Amino acid sequence: MSKQSGFRQDAANHIIIFFHYMTQYIKTKMAYRADFFIYVFSDLLQQSVNLVFILVIFTKVPAIKGWTRDQILFIYGFFLIPFGLYSGFLNHLFDVPEKYVLEGELDRVLLRPLNAWFQVVVETMNPELLIGTLTGIVIMVYSGNAMGLVPTWWDFPLTLVLVFGATMIYAGVYTFLASLGFWTEGNMGLMPMVYNLSNYGRYPMTIYRGPVRFILTWVLPFAFAGFYPAAILMHRYEYIGYALLTPIIGIISFAFSYWVWVIGIRRYRGTGS
Amino acid sequence: MALIEARGLTKEFRIFRRREGVMGAFRDLFQRDYTTLRAVDGIDFVVAEGEMVGYIGANGAGKSTTIKMLTGILVPTAGSVNVNGFIPYKDREKYTRGIGVVFGQRSQLWWDIAVIESFKLLRRIYNVSQEEFKARLKKFDDILEFGSFLHLPVRKLSLGQRMRCDLTAALLHNPAILFLDEPTIGLDVLGKAKIREFLKEINSESKTTVILTTHDLGDIEALCPRVAIIDKGKMLYDGSVDNLYAQWGHDKMEDIVKKIYEGCKPEQYCMIENWGDTHA
Amino acid sequence: MPDHDLPGRSRPVGFGNRFLLYLELVRMEFVNNLAYRSSYFTGIFNYTIQIGAYFFLWDAIYSGRRAIGGLNKEEMITYVIVAWVARSFYFSNLDRRVAVEIRDGKIALELIRPYSYQMVKYARASGEAFFRILFFAVPAGTAIYFIRPFGLPPDWQAGLLFLLAVTGGFVINSQISMIAGFCAFFTQSTSGIFRAKRVIMDLFSGLLLPISFYPGWARDIIKLFPFQTVSYMPNLIYLGKITGGAVLHVILLQLFWVAFLGLVSVLFWRFAVKHVVIQGG
Repeated sequence: MSKQSGFRQDAANHIIIFFHYMTQYIKTKMAYRADFFIYVFSDLLQQSVNLVFILVIFTKVPAIKGWTRDQILFIYGFFLIPFGLYSGFLNHLFDVPEKYVLEGELDRVLLRPLNAWFQVVVETMNPELLIGTLTGIVIMVYSGNAMGLVPTWWDFPLTLVLVFGATMIYAGVYTFLASLGFWTEGNMGLMPMVYNLSNYGRYPMTIYRGPVRFILTWVLPFAFAGFYPAAILMHRYEYIGYALLTPIIGIISFAFSYWVWVIGIRRYRGTGS
Repeated sequence: MALIEARGLTKEFRIFRRREGVMGAFRDLFQRDYTTLRAVDGIDFVVAEGEMVGYIGANGAGKSTTIKMLTGILVPTAGSVNVNGFIPYKDREKYTRGIGVVFGQRSQLWWDIAVIESFKLLRRIYNVSQEEFKARLKKFDDILEFGSFLHLPVRKLSLGQRMRCDLTAALLHNPAILFLDEPTIGLDVLGKAKIREFLKEINSESKTTVILTTHDLGDIEALCPRVAIIDKGKMLYDGSVDNLYAQWGHDKMEDIVKKIYEGCKPEQYCMIENWGDTHA
Repeated sequence: MPDHDLPGRSRPVGFGNRFLLYLELVRMEFVNNLAYRSSYFTGIFNYTIQIGAYFFLWDAIYSGRRAIGGLNKEEMITYVIVAWVARSFYFSNLDRRVAVEIRDGKIALELIRPYSYQMVKYARASGEAFFRILFFAVPAGTAIYFIRPFGLPPDWQAGLLFLLAVTGGFVINSQISMIAGFCAFFTQSTSGIFRAKRVIMDLFSGLLLPISFYPGWARDIIKLFPFQTVSYMPNLIYLGKITGGAVLHVILLQLFWVAFLGLVSVLFWRFAVKHVVIQGG
């Protein structure tokens, strides 16, 4: 079997298995129907808090640094889409330092003939959190409508590309943080911090001061997970450079982080835990 | 070539010591103070196909480290290891297709989903055909009898039930080697008997090679013609159980092992290489 | 006391002794938390990031405007910081802890002990709160003050009354958490209830927004509930917006709610203990 077809078959195998995991999760969650609806409901509650905040503020002021209510809502709506994908599928990376490295659950993962990162990610999924993505789409459509935004034909594929890029950024950042767990023993508490920082991406970058903007753009590029892509979809073409960078930043961030992950695994296996 | 061939297998760990106090913590940032621990020290371990080998040792003697190296989790510091035609830590994804592992303390199955669904997922992961899957499930069910709780999630199972499922899961893909780490721990007498019956069966019928790490010497007595004893990283004994009985009389296995720990070296029965010839 | 040493004799534990017991629990919890003090350091940094988001936001909202909802920019920034710093210690995990104990069946053990389950829980929460004040709230507040100086109370009286009101807020918040935790007697899925409670607290306690921001009809409804006494009113006392007799009114209101919620929780407890089968492990 040539190397080429081996890789392709490998990848196909992983994809098939991903869908099987997914069906499993949905089946399980469906079995606990009450719990499922409660999760969805409480997620919506959380979103409603953010929404209430924005709406109430805008009853008092007409605009924030030139951004109107509908624009802010639009950005928030877009932000929720990749965020929902992350919460639904990639959240488990949070557990790597504690559960997998410190407690040695990684051993079990290494004994299976599948990519280790893939296994960790897929072992716990919360597909019900995709409600966040759905909510985001709804908010985007509603606020886009309210501001009289007419999407051009290329806005649709562009949205897909931008969402992909944004999700890659989350994947990258959290894979990197998870990988740090291979060097530190247990959590350093970095993840909650970064998680909080990711919320900064919900608002226009113009409200942040220089150094913070810099961090959000080039270090922990959450600005590309919310603001910049949303701005371009609102036809604020002064940000086009940034927006188009989104998928590239996403790929780079994930590629770099996965590389760190691989080194981390090597360390785990070379020196043990 | 034997199925498992490890020569001069060594594993060293660096144990970092945390310095005391604030100044210590500060210095630790720049230069860590460590000692080197030799968990496994130049072990030779050769196993032929179809063998059932017991592997015993005190806690911290190096048992799990050896197994981790044989299963590809850890990379040895020195020495060579070749299992089932692979170097375990290289080609991990290919190598693991041919082995099955059961941890006594931890389940390999998914906690929240029905056991049968776990099995089905594993079938996909290991690329087992539908027919073979069904056939093996039926065969294992005959001895292990898990049919009644196949549709329960793992978290609802008793220890004995879980162990039966874990064993099945480890063998669904017909691996060449089965590594067991304390499979009968915490089980009652009947539970242990069932597991042992099953292991005997798959070893004799499917010629699955079994490496059994255990603290329960009853397991060894019941199942293993050969036993390897490790202590402080070194192999104290690796040979037939009969030989031990011949040397020390049919004492309890426990007493024999205690004597070995205390330093009485038994005579090796025969060179490991010839094992296959006399114990086909 | 010789009486209590006699085995098999059940004598009611004296009030004085019980009080000492609770005090001891407060101290114990404080000491327990000391073990985790290193994680508090990252926690402070974490908190600063959270508050930072609000700082930028409010800074942008206020740009070029004098006052909104009765507060000018400086007051608003102070409000946000004080609200979050206070929250860092009055925040309670009681709801989850109680729910876990109910689910595990541990609660059954607690019932045969000669003290009040609730008082013990409150005592431990207080111990933890003391710890968080010393090791979290105060350092965090100080750190933030150096990064971005915020307003201080207009006089020492306001400061003192603020502390009093915040203590009241702490008690009320703990009671609400406790009651939420009791819901575990009746349902397995408490996470939804807890999330709802957190959302309601965030929205109506004044943490997220000063209540004065809400439209009139919403304010009228919020007035009927204890939530705004937890953060909004204490914060206004801090800012000097509530002075003199009005402060007394706030304290009395808090006392009323403490009594009311206390009654509710006692009734809830009695009802639950009588009618609900305690779940096994």
